[in-house]
Amino acid sequence: MSDDFEKNLRDHLHHEAEQTREFPRRLRGRIRDGIAPRTRARMVPQLALAGALVLVAVAVLAFRNPTIINVVTTGIKGLIEPSPTPAPQPFLCQDQTGGSAGVTATLTNIRPGSHASDGYDRVVFDFNGGIPSWDLTRQESATFTRDASGQQVTLDGSAGFKLVLRAADVAGGVPSDLSPRYTSIREVAELGNFEHQLTYGFGLSSSQCVRVLQLSNSRLVVDVATNGSASTTAAPTPLPTITPSGTDVSAFSCVDHSGGTNTGPAMLLTAVRVAHQTGFDRIVFEFAPQAGATAHIPAYTVSRQASAKFVKDPSGLPVTMRGSSGLRIIFHGASGADTYTGPRDFTPNLPVVQEVEQLGDFEAVLSWGAGLSQASCIRTLELSNPTRVVIDVQTP
Amino acid sequence: MLMDPALGRVIARWREGDRDAFEEVVDRYGLQLLRTARLILRDEALAEDAIQETFLKAWQRIGSLRDEDPGPWLTRIAMNESISTYRRRHRFQALTERFGRLGGGRREVSSEARLDLAHALGQLNIEQRAAVALHYYQDLSVEETARTLKVPVDTVKSRLKTALRRLRELTGFEEALA
Repeated sequence: MSDDFEKNLRDHLHHEAEQTREFPRRLRGRIRDGIAPRTRARMVPQLALAGALVLVAVAVLAFRNPTIINVVTTGIKGLIEPSPTPAPQPFLCQDQTGGSAGVTATLTNIRPGSHASDGYDRVVFDFNGGIPSWDLTRQESATFTRDASGQQVTLDGSAGFKLVLRAADVAGGVPSDLSPRYTSIREVAELGNFEHQLTYGFGLSSSQCVRVLQLSNSRLVVDVATNGSASTTAAPTPLPTITPSGTDVSAFSCVDHSGGTNTGPAMLLTAVRVAHQTGFDRIVFEFAPQAGATAHIPAYTVSRQASAKFVKDPSGLPVTMRGSSGLRIIFHGASGADTYTGPRDFTPNLPVVQEVEQLGDFEAVLSWGAGLSQASCIRTLELSNPTRVVIDVQTP
Repeated sequence: MLMDPALGRVIARWREGDRDAFEEVVDRYGLQLLRTARLILRDEALAEDAIQETFLKAWQRIGSLRDEDPGPWLTRIAMNESISTYRRRHRFQALTERFGRLGGGRREVSSEARLDLAHALGQLNIEQRAAVALHYYQDLSVEETARTLKVPVDTVKSRLKTALRRLRELTGFEEALA
Protein backbone atom coordinates (compact mmCIF):
# COMPACT_ATOMS: atom_id res chain seq x y z
CA MET A 1 0.00 0.00 0.00
CA SER A 2 2.86 2.32 0.74
CA ASP A 3 3.89 1.84 -2.91
CA ASP A 4 0.59 3.41 -3.90
CA PHE A 5 1.24 6.37 -1.69
CA GLU A 6 4.75 6.79 -3.00
CA LYS A 7 3.45 6.58 -6.56
CA ASN A 8 0.86 9.23 -5.76
CA LEU A 9 3.54 11.38 -4.23
CA ARG A 10 5.83 10.98 -7.24
CA ASP A 11 3.01 11.80 -9.65
CA HIS A 12 2.00 14.79 -7.59
CA LEU A 13 5.55 16.18 -7.48
CA HIS A 14 5.94 15.87 -11.24
CA HIS A 15 2.55 17.46 -11.82
CA GLU A 16 3.36 20.32 -9.44
CA ALA A 17 6.82 20.84 -10.91
CA GLU A 18 5.51 20.99 -14.46
CA GLN A 19 3.37 23.96 -13.54
CA THR A 20 6.63 25.86 -13.92
CA ARG A 21 6.59 25.56 -17.69
CA GLU A 22 9.75 27.42 -18.62
CA PHE A 23 12.79 29.09 -17.19
CA PRO A 24 11.65 32.70 -16.66
CA ARG A 25 13.20 35.26 -18.95
CA ARG A 26 13.57 37.72 -16.07
CA LEU A 27 15.57 35.16 -14.09
CA ARG A 28 17.84 34.52 -17.04
CA GLY A 29 18.34 38.30 -17.25
CA ARG A 30 19.16 38.56 -13.55
CA ILE A 31 21.77 35.84 -13.91
CA ARG A 32 23.22 37.47 -17.02
CA ASP A 33 23.45 40.81 -15.20
CA GLY A 34 25.08 39.08 -12.24
CA ILE A 35 27.95 37.74 -14.29
CA ALA A 36 28.35 40.84 -16.48
CA PRO A 37 28.37 43.96 -14.31
CA ARG A 38 26.81 47.00 -15.93
CA THR A 39 29.52 48.98 -17.70
CA ARG A 40 29.79 52.64 -18.46
CA ALA A 41 29.15 51.94 -22.14
CA ARG A 42 25.61 50.91 -21.26
CA MET A 43 25.10 54.26 -19.57
CA VAL A 44 25.98 56.30 -22.65
CA PRO A 45 22.38 57.07 -23.67
CA GLN A 46 21.49 58.15 -20.13
CA LEU A 47 24.63 60.30 -19.85
CA ALA A 48 23.95 61.92 -23.23
CA LEU A 49 20.42 62.78 -22.17
CA ALA A 50 21.66 64.22 -18.84
CA GLY A 51 24.29 66.29 -20.68
CA ALA A 52 21.72 67.66 -23.09
CA LEU A 53 19.46 68.69 -20.21
CA VAL A 54 22.37 70.48 -18.50
CA LEU A 55 23.19 72.39 -21.69
CA VAL A 56 19.56 73.47 -22.09
CA ALA A 57 19.48 74.66 -18.48
CA VAL A 58 22.74 76.63 -18.93
CA ALA A 59 21.42 78.24 -22.12
CA VAL A 60 18.25 79.38 -20.35
CA LEU A 61 20.25 80.80 -17.43
CA ALA A 62 22.70 82.58 -19.73
CA PHE A 63 19.84 84.18 -21.59
CA ARG A 64 18.44 85.55 -18.34
CA ASN A 65 21.79 86.38 -16.70
CA PRO A 66 24.88 86.64 -19.01
CA THR A 67 27.37 86.61 -16.09
CA ILE A 68 26.53 82.96 -15.57
CA ILE A 69 28.66 82.21 -18.64
CA ASN A 70 31.84 83.20 -16.74
CA VAL A 71 30.92 80.92 -13.88
CA VAL A 72 30.23 78.02 -16.21
CA THR A 73 33.38 78.47 -18.29
CA THR A 74 35.48 78.67 -15.14
CA GLY A 75 33.91 75.46 -13.94
CA ILE A 76 34.45 73.70 -17.25
CA LYS A 77 38.05 74.94 -17.35
CA GLY A 78 38.59 73.43 -13.95
CA LEU A 79 37.18 70.16 -15.14
CA ILE A 80 39.21 69.81 -18.32
CA GLU A 81 42.54 71.14 -17.10
CA PRO A 82 44.82 68.50 -15.63
CA SER A 83 44.76 68.43 -11.87
CA PRO A 84 48.02 69.15 -10.10
CA THR A 85 50.24 66.13 -9.80
CA PRO A 86 49.68 64.68 -6.35
CA ALA A 87 52.60 64.58 -3.99
CA PRO A 88 54.39 61.26 -4.39
CA GLN A 89 53.40 58.72 -1.82
CA PRO A 90 56.18 57.23 0.26
CA PHE A 91 57.09 53.59 0.29
CA LEU A 92 55.94 52.05 3.54
CA CYS A 93 57.57 49.22 5.39
CA GLN A 94 54.35 48.03 7.00
CA ASP A 95 51.06 46.32 6.25
CA GLN A 96 48.63 48.49 4.31
CA THR A 97 44.93 48.59 3.54
CA GLY A 98 42.67 50.57 1.24
CA GLY A 99 40.02 50.48 -1.47
CA SER A 100 36.28 50.87 -1.10
CA ALA A 101 34.18 48.42 0.87
CA GLY A 102 31.08 49.01 -1.25
CA VAL A 103 32.75 48.24 -4.56
CA THR A 104 32.28 44.94 -6.36
CA ALA A 105 34.88 44.68 -9.10
CA THR A 106 36.21 42.31 -11.71
CA LEU A 107 39.95 41.98 -12.14
CA THR A 108 40.60 42.19 -15.87
CA ASN A 109 44.39 42.17 -16.10
CA ILE A 110 47.67 42.10 -14.19
CA ARG A 111 50.60 43.94 -15.74
CA PRO A 112 54.13 43.87 -14.34
CA GLY A 113 56.70 46.48 -15.28
CA SER A 114 60.25 47.25 -14.23
CA HIS A 115 61.08 50.82 -13.21
CA ALA A 116 64.43 49.91 -11.73
CA SER A 117 65.98 53.19 -12.88
CA ASP A 118 63.38 54.98 -10.73
CA GLY A 119 63.97 52.69 -7.82
CA TYR A 120 61.03 50.34 -7.92
CA ASP A 121 59.30 47.42 -9.66
CA ARG A 122 55.63 47.78 -10.46
CA VAL A 123 52.60 45.52 -10.87
CA VAL A 124 49.30 47.03 -12.05
CA PHE A 125 45.96 45.40 -11.30
CA ASP A 126 43.28 46.56 -13.75
CA PHE A 127 39.67 46.37 -12.59
CA ASN A 128 36.30 46.86 -14.15
CA GLY A 129 33.92 48.56 -11.73
CA GLY A 130 36.23 50.36 -9.31
CA ILE A 131 38.94 49.45 -6.86
CA PRO A 132 37.68 46.96 -4.28
CA SER A 133 38.63 46.80 -0.64
CA TRP A 134 42.17 45.43 -0.34
CA ASP A 135 44.84 44.75 2.20
CA LEU A 136 48.49 43.96 1.91
CA THR A 137 50.25 41.84 4.51
CA ARG A 138 54.01 41.48 4.51
CA GLN A 139 55.83 38.34 5.56
CA GLU A 140 59.37 37.12 6.07
CA SER A 141 59.31 34.33 3.50
CA ALA A 142 58.06 33.61 -0.01
CA THR A 143 56.03 30.62 1.15
CA PHE A 144 52.27 31.13 1.19
CA THR A 145 49.19 29.10 1.98
CA ARG A 146 46.70 28.74 -0.83
CA ASP A 147 43.17 29.88 -0.13
CA ALA A 148 41.13 27.75 0.21
CA SER A 149 42.92 24.45 -0.39
CA GLY A 150 45.42 25.09 2.37
CA GLN A 151 48.30 23.89 0.20
CA GLN A 152 51.67 25.51 0.68
CA VAL A 153 53.23 27.25 -2.27
CA THR A 154 56.69 28.74 -2.40
CA LEU A 155 57.29 31.55 -4.86
CA ASP A 156 60.59 32.75 -6.23
CA GLY A 157 62.36 34.91 -3.66
CA SER A 158 63.17 35.05 0.01
CA ALA A 159 60.45 37.43 1.26
CA GLY A 160 57.00 38.39 0.19
CA PHE A 161 53.64 39.88 0.81
CA LYS A 162 50.05 38.90 0.28
CA LEU A 163 47.49 41.11 -1.43
CA VAL A 164 43.84 40.31 -0.64
CA LEU A 165 41.12 41.82 -2.83
CA ARG A 166 37.59 41.63 -1.42
CA ALA A 167 34.30 41.59 -3.30
CA ALA A 168 36.31 40.88 -6.41
CA ASP A 169 36.17 38.29 -9.14
CA VAL A 170 38.63 37.58 -11.89
CA ALA A 171 37.86 37.64 -15.59
CA GLY A 172 38.92 34.84 -17.89
CA GLY A 173 42.39 35.12 -19.31
CA VAL A 174 43.97 36.93 -16.40
CA PRO A 175 47.30 35.22 -15.70
CA SER A 176 47.40 33.26 -12.47
CA ASP A 177 51.20 33.17 -12.23
CA LEU A 178 53.71 35.70 -13.48
CA SER A 179 57.47 35.40 -13.10
CA PRO A 180 58.91 38.76 -14.17
CA ARG A 181 62.06 38.07 -12.16
CA TYR A 182 62.73 41.78 -11.70
CA THR A 183 65.17 43.20 -9.19
CA SER A 184 62.63 43.06 -6.35
CA ILE A 185 59.49 41.39 -7.67
CA ARG A 186 60.39 37.88 -8.66
CA GLU A 187 56.99 36.22 -8.94
CA VAL A 188 53.29 37.04 -8.56
CA ALA A 189 50.84 34.16 -8.20
CA GLU A 190 47.15 33.76 -7.50
CA LEU A 191 46.76 32.11 -4.11
CA GLY A 192 42.99 32.03 -3.96
CA ASN A 193 39.76 32.85 -5.71
CA PHE A 194 37.11 32.00 -3.19
CA GLU A 195 33.83 33.61 -2.14
CA HIS A 196 34.47 36.82 -4.06
CA GLN A 197 37.90 37.17 -2.50
CA LEU A 198 41.03 37.12 -4.60
CA THR A 199 44.41 36.59 -3.01
CA TYR A 200 47.76 37.14 -4.70
CA GLY A 201 51.20 36.38 -3.35
CA PHE A 202 54.28 38.37 -4.28
CA GLY A 203 57.65 36.69 -4.08
CA LEU A 204 60.42 39.25 -3.48
CA SER A 205 64.17 38.94 -3.76
CA SER A 206 64.46 40.50 -0.31
CA SER A 207 62.30 42.28 2.21
CA GLN A 208 61.41 45.65 0.66
CA CYS A 209 59.03 48.52 1.35
CA VAL A 210 55.91 48.91 -0.74
CA ARG A 211 53.85 51.76 -2.17
CA VAL A 212 50.25 51.18 -3.25
CA LEU A 213 48.58 53.72 -5.55
CA GLN A 214 44.91 53.85 -6.46
CA LEU A 215 44.72 55.46 -9.88
CA SER A 216 41.92 56.51 -12.21
CA ASN A 217 40.34 53.96 -14.53
CA SER A 218 40.19 51.48 -11.66
CA ARG A 219 43.90 50.71 -11.48
CA LEU A 220 45.57 49.48 -8.34
CA VAL A 221 49.32 49.90 -8.59
CA VAL A 222 51.76 48.07 -6.35
CA ASP A 223 55.30 49.41 -6.38
CA VAL A 224 58.07 47.56 -4.58
CA ALA A 225 61.28 49.40 -3.82
CA THR A 226 64.45 47.99 -5.34
CA ASN A 227 67.24 47.75 -2.78
CA GLY A 228 65.96 50.68 -0.79
CA SER A 229 66.70 53.13 -3.56
CA ALA A 230 63.19 54.37 -4.30
CA SER A 231 63.36 58.11 -4.72
CA THR A 232 60.45 59.08 -2.52
CA THR A 233 60.90 56.70 0.29
CA ALA A 234 62.25 56.72 3.71
CA ALA A 235 64.93 54.07 3.94
CA PRO A 236 63.32 50.66 3.96
CA THR A 237 63.37 49.05 7.32
CA PRO A 238 63.34 45.34 7.91
CA LEU A 239 60.08 43.61 8.59
CA PRO A 240 59.08 43.97 12.21
CA THR A 241 59.97 40.89 14.15
CA ILE A 242 57.67 40.23 17.03
CA THR A 243 59.58 38.63 19.81
CA PRO A 244 57.62 35.81 21.32
CA SER A 245 56.75 36.26 24.93
CA GLY A 246 54.95 34.19 27.49
CA THR A 247 55.49 30.66 28.61
CA ASP A 248 55.42 28.23 25.70
CA VAL A 249 55.52 30.30 22.59
CA SER A 250 58.18 28.57 20.58
CA ALA A 251 55.67 27.67 17.88
CA PHE A 252 54.34 31.19 17.30
CA SER A 253 55.07 32.42 13.82
CA CYS A 254 54.02 35.41 11.76
CA VAL A 255 52.85 33.43 8.72
CA ASP A 256 49.64 31.73 7.64
CA HIS A 257 48.99 28.30 9.11
CA SER A 258 47.26 25.21 7.75
CA GLY A 259 46.68 21.62 8.73
CA GLY A 260 44.17 18.80 9.10
CA THR A 261 42.78 16.59 6.37
CA ASN A 262 39.69 16.75 4.19
CA THR A 263 38.83 13.06 4.22
CA GLY A 264 35.66 11.23 5.14
CA PRO A 265 32.34 12.71 6.21
CA ALA A 266 32.29 16.32 7.30
CA MET A 267 33.14 16.98 10.94
CA LEU A 268 30.47 18.75 12.95
CA LEU A 269 31.23 21.94 14.84
CA THR A 270 29.95 21.69 18.39
CA ALA A 271 31.60 24.54 20.28
CA VAL A 272 33.61 27.72 19.86
CA ARG A 273 35.44 29.24 22.80
CA VAL A 274 37.50 32.39 23.17
CA ALA A 275 39.63 33.23 26.20
CA HIS A 276 42.84 34.94 27.28
CA GLN A 277 45.75 33.02 28.73
CA THR A 278 49.18 34.18 29.75
CA GLY A 279 50.91 35.46 26.65
CA PHE A 280 48.15 34.77 24.16
CA ASP A 281 44.44 34.89 23.34
CA ARG A 282 43.03 31.47 22.50
CA ILE A 283 40.27 30.58 20.03
CA VAL A 284 39.07 26.98 20.17
CA PHE A 285 36.93 25.21 17.58
CA GLU A 286 35.59 21.88 18.83
CA PHE A 287 34.26 19.19 16.50
CA ALA A 288 32.48 15.85 16.68
CA PRO A 289 32.32 13.16 13.98
CA GLN A 290 29.07 12.20 12.31
CA ALA A 291 27.37 9.02 13.53
CA GLY A 292 29.49 6.03 12.58
CA ALA A 293 32.35 8.15 11.25
CA THR A 294 35.86 8.46 12.62
CA ALA A 295 37.01 11.70 14.20
CA HIS A 296 39.66 13.69 12.39
CA ILE A 297 40.94 17.24 12.27
CA PRO A 298 39.23 18.90 9.32
CA ALA A 299 41.48 20.62 6.81
CA TYR A 300 41.96 24.22 7.85
CA THR A 301 43.79 27.38 6.92
CA VAL A 302 44.40 30.38 9.14
CA SER A 303 45.25 33.42 7.02
CA ARG A 304 46.54 36.67 8.46
CA GLN A 305 45.30 39.91 6.94
CA ALA A 306 46.01 43.58 7.49
CA SER A 307 42.46 44.64 8.25
CA ALA A 308 39.39 43.48 10.13
CA LYS A 309 37.26 43.51 6.98
CA PHE A 310 35.79 40.24 5.78
CA VAL A 311 33.21 38.97 3.32
CA LYS A 312 30.33 36.76 4.36
CA ASP A 313 29.64 33.47 2.61
CA PRO A 314 27.28 33.00 0.78
CA SER A 315 25.77 36.49 0.85
CA GLY A 316 28.99 38.25 -0.16
CA LEU A 317 28.16 41.05 2.25
CA PRO A 318 31.14 42.90 3.71
CA VAL A 319 31.68 42.59 7.45
CA THR A 320 33.92 44.87 9.45
CA MET A 321 34.84 43.46 12.83
CA ARG A 322 36.37 45.24 15.74
CA GLY A 323 40.10 45.80 15.48
CA SER A 324 42.58 46.78 12.82
CA SER A 325 43.90 43.41 11.76
CA GLY A 326 42.41 40.01 11.26
CA LEU A 327 42.53 36.27 10.86
CA ARG A 328 40.46 34.32 8.36
CA ILE A 329 39.88 30.74 9.43
CA ILE A 330 38.52 28.25 6.90
CA PHE A 331 37.66 24.60 7.55
CA HIS A 332 37.07 22.21 4.67
CA GLY A 333 34.86 19.22 5.34
CA ALA A 334 33.19 20.79 8.37
CA SER A 335 29.83 22.31 9.22
CA GLY A 336 28.02 23.60 12.25
CA ALA A 337 24.64 24.22 10.62
CA ASP A 338 22.84 21.52 12.58
CA THR A 339 25.11 21.04 15.55
CA TYR A 340 26.49 24.35 16.69
CA THR A 341 24.01 26.28 18.81
CA GLY A 342 26.33 28.80 20.45
CA PRO A 343 26.86 32.42 19.48
CA ARG A 344 28.09 33.11 15.97
CA ASP A 345 29.51 36.50 16.91
CA PHE A 346 31.73 36.96 19.98
CA THR A 347 33.04 40.30 21.18
CA PRO A 348 35.30 39.16 24.02
CA ASN A 349 37.42 42.33 24.08
CA LEU A 350 40.58 40.44 24.95
CA PRO A 351 44.04 42.03 24.69
CA VAL A 352 44.27 41.22 20.96
CA VAL A 353 41.20 39.23 19.90
CA GLN A 354 38.42 41.80 19.71
CA GLU A 355 35.76 39.86 17.84
CA VAL A 356 35.18 36.37 16.45
CA GLU A 357 32.35 35.84 13.98
CA GLN A 358 31.13 33.11 11.67
CA LEU A 359 31.46 34.16 8.05
CA GLY A 360 29.96 31.18 6.32
CA ASP A 361 28.82 27.57 6.47
CA PHE A 362 28.26 26.38 2.95
CA GLU A 363 28.91 23.11 1.14
CA ALA A 364 30.89 21.77 4.10
CA VAL A 365 33.16 24.80 4.01
CA LEU A 366 32.99 26.53 7.37
CA SER A 367 34.60 29.94 7.72
CA TRP A 368 35.11 32.27 10.65
CA GLY A 369 36.92 35.55 11.06
CA ALA A 370 38.68 37.18 13.98
CA GLY A 371 39.20 40.89 14.41
CA LEU A 372 42.48 41.73 16.16
CA SER A 373 43.61 44.94 17.83
CA GLN A 374 47.01 44.55 16.16
CA ALA A 375 48.84 42.26 13.76
CA SER A 376 50.06 39.32 15.84
CA CYS A 377 51.90 36.09 15.40
CA ILE A 378 49.90 32.91 15.83
CA ARG A 379 50.27 29.23 16.49
CA THR A 380 47.82 26.42 15.85
CA LEU A 381 47.36 23.23 17.85
CA GLU A 382 45.46 20.11 16.85
CA LEU A 383 44.01 18.32 19.85
CA SER A 384 41.93 15.18 20.27
CA ASN A 385 39.29 13.84 22.68
CA PRO A 386 37.40 15.92 21.83
CA THR A 387 38.67 16.98 18.42
CA ARG A 388 39.79 20.61 18.56
CA VAL A 389 41.63 23.13 16.46
CA VAL A 390 43.22 25.73 18.71
CA ILE A 391 44.44 29.08 17.45
CA ASP A 392 46.61 31.05 19.84
CA VAL A 393 47.12 34.72 19.05
CA GLN A 394 50.15 36.22 20.70
CA THR A 395 49.50 39.16 23.03
CA PRO A 396 51.93 41.96 23.93
CA MET B 1 29.53 11.00 -14.66
CA LEU B 2 31.15 11.43 -18.08
CA MET B 3 30.11 14.27 -20.34
CA ASP B 4 29.09 14.03 -23.93
CA PRO B 5 31.72 15.73 -26.11
CA ALA B 6 29.46 18.65 -27.10
CA LEU B 7 28.73 19.49 -23.48
CA GLY B 8 32.42 19.10 -22.71
CA ARG B 9 33.22 21.78 -25.29
CA VAL B 10 30.62 24.11 -23.76
CA ILE B 11 32.13 23.60 -20.31
CA ALA B 12 35.61 24.23 -21.68
CA ARG B 13 34.43 27.56 -23.13
CA TRP B 14 32.76 28.41 -19.84
CA ARG B 15 36.05 27.74 -18.03
CA GLU B 16 37.65 30.34 -20.28
CA GLY B 17 35.08 32.92 -19.23
CA ASP B 18 32.74 32.60 -22.23
CA ARG B 19 29.40 34.00 -21.04
CA ASP B 20 27.49 32.54 -23.99
CA ALA B 21 28.69 29.08 -23.03
CA PHE B 22 27.60 29.68 -19.47
CA GLU B 23 24.14 30.73 -20.67
CA GLU B 24 23.91 27.48 -22.61
CA VAL B 25 24.43 25.68 -19.31
CA VAL B 26 21.75 27.84 -17.68
CA ASP B 27 19.36 26.90 -20.49
CA ARG B 28 20.19 23.24 -20.17
CA TYR B 29 19.88 22.83 -16.40
CA GLY B 30 17.95 25.88 -15.22
CA LEU B 31 14.38 24.67 -15.52
CA GLN B 32 14.97 21.36 -13.74
CA LEU B 33 16.80 23.11 -10.91
CA LEU B 34 14.13 25.79 -10.62
CA ARG B 35 11.38 23.19 -10.45
CA THR B 36 13.22 21.31 -7.73
CA ALA B 37 13.85 24.47 -5.74
CA ARG B 38 10.19 25.42 -6.14
CA LEU B 39 9.12 22.05 -4.71
CA ILE B 40 11.40 22.50 -1.74
CA LEU B 41 10.81 26.17 -0.98
CA ARG B 42 7.07 26.25 -1.84
CA ASP B 43 7.57 29.82 -3.00
CA GLU B 44 8.24 30.95 -6.54
CA ALA B 45 10.17 34.11 -5.66
CA LEU B 46 12.40 32.33 -3.14
CA ALA B 47 13.06 29.55 -5.64
CA GLU B 48 14.13 32.07 -8.27
CA ASP B 49 16.42 33.77 -5.76
CA ALA B 50 18.00 30.43 -4.86
CA ILE B 51 18.57 29.47 -8.50
CA GLN B 52 19.96 32.89 -9.32
CA GLU B 53 22.48 32.48 -6.51
CA THR B 54 23.18 28.92 -7.65
CA PHE B 55 24.23 29.99 -11.13
CA LEU B 56 26.18 33.01 -9.90
CA LYS B 57 28.14 30.77 -7.56
CA ALA B 58 28.61 28.23 -10.32
CA TRP B 59 29.99 30.96 -12.61
CA GLN B 60 32.50 31.95 -9.95
CA ARG B 61 33.44 28.43 -8.94
CA ILE B 62 33.84 26.75 -12.29
CA GLY B 63 37.37 25.92 -11.18
CA SER B 64 36.00 23.45 -8.65
CA LEU B 65 34.03 21.48 -11.28
CA ARG B 66 35.91 18.37 -12.25
CA ASP B 67 35.79 16.88 -15.71
CA GLU B 68 32.27 15.56 -15.31
CA ASP B 69 28.65 16.33 -16.07
CA PRO B 70 27.88 19.55 -14.19
CA GLY B 71 24.32 18.43 -13.36
CA PRO B 72 25.00 16.82 -9.97
CA TRP B 73 27.41 19.64 -9.07
CA LEU B 74 24.80 22.27 -9.90
CA THR B 75 22.13 20.32 -8.03
CA ARG B 76 24.34 20.21 -4.98
CA ILE B 77 24.84 23.96 -5.06
CA ALA B 78 21.13 24.50 -5.69
CA MET B 79 20.15 22.38 -2.70
CA ASN B 80 22.52 24.28 -0.45
CA GLU B 81 21.23 27.57 -1.78
CA SER B 82 17.60 26.50 -1.36
CA ILE B 83 18.11 25.44 2.22
CA SER B 84 20.19 28.53 3.02
CA THR B 85 17.62 30.79 1.39
CA TYR B 86 14.84 29.18 3.36
CA ARG B 87 16.74 29.49 6.64
CA ARG B 88 17.53 33.12 6.02
CA ARG B 89 13.91 33.96 5.28
CA HIS B 90 12.35 31.77 7.92
CA ARG B 91 14.76 31.93 10.81
CA PHE B 92 12.12 31.50 13.48
CA GLN B 93 10.37 28.72 11.63
CA ALA B 94 13.66 26.94 11.08
CA LEU B 95 14.39 27.21 14.79
CA THR B 96 11.11 25.65 15.79
CA GLU B 97 11.62 22.90 13.24
CA ARG B 98 15.06 22.15 14.63
CA PHE B 99 13.99 21.94 18.23
CA GLY B 100 10.51 20.58 17.71
CA ARG B 101 7.33 22.49 17.48
CA LEU B 102 6.59 24.83 20.34
CA GLY B 103 4.11 23.34 22.75
CA GLY B 104 5.61 19.89 22.16
CA GLY B 105 4.02 16.82 20.75
CA ARG B 106 2.66 16.19 17.32
CA ARG B 107 -0.77 17.51 16.67
CA GLU B 108 -3.43 15.02 15.81
CA VAL B 109 -5.00 15.71 12.48
CA SER B 110 -8.75 15.67 12.44
CA SER B 111 -10.55 14.61 9.31
CA GLU B 112 -11.61 18.23 8.80
CA ALA B 113 -8.00 19.36 8.89
CA ARG B 114 -6.74 16.83 6.38
CA LEU B 115 -4.70 18.42 3.65
CA ASP B 116 -4.08 17.68 0.06
CA LEU B 117 -0.57 16.63 -0.84
CA ALA B 118 0.50 20.11 -1.93
CA HIS B 119 -0.35 21.60 1.43
CA ALA B 120 0.93 18.59 3.32
CA LEU B 121 4.33 18.98 1.66
CA GLY B 122 4.41 22.50 3.04
CA GLN B 123 4.17 21.06 6.54
CA LEU B 124 7.42 19.12 6.23
CA ASN B 125 10.63 20.73 7.34
CA ILE B 126 13.05 22.00 4.72
CA GLU B 127 15.47 19.07 5.02
CA GLN B 128 12.67 16.54 4.59
CA ARG B 129 11.31 18.38 1.55
CA ALA B 130 14.77 18.44 -0.01
CA ALA B 131 15.13 14.68 0.45
CA VAL B 132 11.61 14.07 -0.92
CA ALA B 133 12.16 16.30 -3.95
CA LEU B 134 15.48 14.71 -4.87
CA HIS B 135 14.32 11.12 -4.32
CA TYR B 136 10.78 11.27 -5.69
CA TYR B 137 10.99 14.08 -8.23
CA GLN B 138 14.56 13.91 -9.51
CA ASP B 139 14.51 10.12 -9.02
CA LEU B 140 17.88 10.09 -7.30
CA SER B 141 18.71 6.98 -5.31
CA VAL B 142 19.02 7.28 -1.55
CA GLU B 143 22.79 7.19 -1.94
CA GLU B 144 22.76 9.92 -4.60
CA THR B 145 20.42 12.00 -2.47
CA ALA B 146 22.81 11.64 0.46
CA ARG B 147 25.76 12.73 -1.68
CA THR B 148 23.84 15.71 -3.02
CA LEU B 149 22.78 16.85 0.43
CA LYS B 150 26.14 15.90 1.93
CA VAL B 151 24.59 13.91 4.73
CA PRO B 152 24.90 10.23 5.65
CA VAL B 153 22.71 7.68 3.85
CA ASP B 154 21.00 6.79 7.11
CA THR B 155 20.03 10.42 7.58
CA VAL B 156 18.35 10.47 4.19
CA LYS B 157 16.53 7.22 4.97
CA SER B 158 15.35 8.68 8.25
CA ARG B 159 14.20 11.92 6.62
CA LEU B 160 12.29 10.08 3.92
CA LYS B 161 10.67 7.71 6.38
CA THR B 162 9.60 10.53 8.67
CA ALA B 163 8.38 12.62 5.74
CA LEU B 164 6.26 9.79 4.33
CA ARG B 165 4.75 9.03 7.70
CA ARG B 166 3.89 12.69 8.19
CA LEU B 167 2.43 13.05 4.70
CA ARG B 168 0.27 9.98 5.17
CA GLU B 169 -0.95 11.33 8.45
CA LEU B 170 -1.69 14.79 7.11
CA THR B 171 -3.51 13.51 4.04
CA GLY B 172 -5.37 10.77 5.87
CA PHE B 173 -4.05 8.19 3.47
CA GLU B 174 -3.72 5.34 5.99
CA GLU B 175 -7.16 5.99 7.43
CA ALA B 176 -8.69 5.90 3.99
CA LEU B 177 -7.26 2.42 3.48
CA ALA B 178 -8.73 1.09 6.71
